[in-house]
Amino acid sequence: MAETYTLPVGPLHVALEEPMYFDIKVEGETVRGLDLTAGHVHRGMEALAMHRNYFQNVTLTERVCSLCSNSHPATYCMAVETLAGITVPERGQYLRVIADEIKRVASHLFNVGIMAHLVGFDSLFMHAMEVRELMQDAKEGVYGNRMNLGQCTIGGTRTDIDKETARFLRGQIEALKPQLHELYGVFEKDPLIRTRTRGIGVLPEAEARRYAVVGPVARASGVAYDVRRKAPYATYEDLTFEVQSDTAGDVHSRAMLRLREAVESVSIIEQCLKQMPEGPVKIEGMAAVPAGESVARSEAPRGELVYFLRSDGSDTPQRVKWRVPTYMNWEALQVMMAGCQVADIPLIVNSIDPCISCTER
Amino acid sequence: MLPFLKIMVKNLLKGPSTDPFPFAPAKTPKRFRGCASHDESKCILCGICKHVCAAGAIQMRAAEDGSGVEYVLWHNSCVFCGMCAHYCPTGAVTMTDNWHLSHLAEEKYTFCETSFVAFGECSQCGARIQPRPQVIVDQLGTRSPDRFLLCPKCKRESQVKHATDKNLIQLREQQ
Ligand code: SF4
Ligand code: SF4
Repeated sequence: MAETYTLPVGPLHVALEEPMYFDIKVEGETVRGLDLTAGHVHRGMEALAMHRNYFQNVTLTERVCSLCSNSHPATYCMAVETLAGITVPERGQYLRVIADEIKRVASHLFNVGIMAHLVGFDSLFMHAMEVRELMQDAKEGVYGNRMNLGQCTIGGTRTDIDKETARFLRGQIEALKPQLHELYGVFEKDPLIRTRTRGIGVLPEAEARRYAVVGPVARASGVAYDVRRKAPYATYEDLTFEVQSDTAGDVHSRAMLRLREAVESVSIIEQCLKQMPEGPVKIEGMAAVPAGESVARSEAPRGELVYFLRSDGSDTPQRVKWRVPTYMNWEALQVMMAGCQVADIPLIVNSIDPCISCTER
Repeated sequence: MLPFLKIMVKNLLKGPSTDPFPFAPAKTPKRFRGCASHDESKCILCGICKHVCAAGAIQMRAAEDGSGVEYVLWHNSCVFCGMCAHYCPTGAVTMTDNWHLSHLAEEKYTFCETSFVAFGECSQCGARIQPRPQVIVDQLGTRSPDRFLLCPKCKRESQVKHATDKNLIQLREQQ
């Protein structure tokens, strides 16, 4: 009988350069089991949120994670608004959707880029990042920052997109579209990418349901669950987009699904720019939050994000609790990694697009 | 490799896509959220900026002689969120497009913007009131510029006087 060894991977993990510790049981080159240890960069943000007032928490939640840094404050604001009975003006809703989708495109391109890097195809990685740069420039030009947009606030959004900015944003999108298309072709056909990622890290649908995975990981395994469709918030009800799904459930299909979602997001942004009504982008004044509880959820780039809020009527929340998408996806690695080769570990880990800063908030 | 070759050649011919900073200025968009800046001539010491600042980068210290407030904006604590600028009712805090924030470690505790905002004085009794900078008077005090510069007590008195005067006129007209 072959002997198994325990191979420590981490805390500085190869795929992410972020700390997560894996104890991997290997038999030769084959993975037989896996233990996960988190907690290396726990920041205690939920406790911090209880010591900051509602407005300060907008900034705090934006800093939970850099790649979905708009989803967090947007969902938090939704929870506060539900509790305070605030209706965000329609233009504000549209602006929130635009910000969310710009972030989604950038986030997905980042993930597929890293995949190319892990395959060892660094020039493709550089190119994916270069394509993503169009969205980074869009964020900087429209919102003033490349990662933390600072767009959401309680009762609406902080910046409007005027004619000039809209023209600039359209220009960026027009430049992005052909490049995104081209990139999709490369990821789809390139033999190097295909050999390294197809049939690797498979998560069958039954297992996806059992582990209750969310986001692109679930959708690539045939669970077409998207909060934007299942429980539409903001203005998603009035926007046309297709929930992407696939049945292969391997590393390659997850990457391709992300690229297709990026294409959908681009079309959502275009629709928003076209349909957006004139009007205020936020409510007047600063709202007070009454005592009570509320929940809000949204589809972050990595999947369903849930915020729970409890207020005692003071200017500081009594409790803010959030469940991040990545949290649901970690355990499914047990299935994805079973029987894989040691060299595929980083690829599989990256394919769930894990966000350590979300997990260790 | 093949599908990518075309892109690679194209990128090679395009040359570098990074800015040649520091040999040439890097492009900065107009809306860029850089270093925050405080204009004491517009501040009314309402404290909203401090209330919304998650980073605790804004300090307001009352002067010992009670003549005003020292306003300190710590650039090293600031996270450039722009909440202060968004909620400031008078536009006294703004986000500039300046991102050149490197400085020596020894300047760590002095790298801030300090300004002094003097309290206002009631134009009648001289009591201490919130600052009444000219820009604010022009903006908010246009309906009755005189009364805008009064303390609450004098303002009440002037209002009562105004109302009685009006009543007297009405009475006289009726008679
Ligand atoms: S800077 Fe603006 S928000 Fe802050 S105290 Fe002065 S007027 Fe108020
Ligand atoms: S930009 Fe944000 S962190 Fe900086 S001073 Fe203003 S509110 Fe505070």
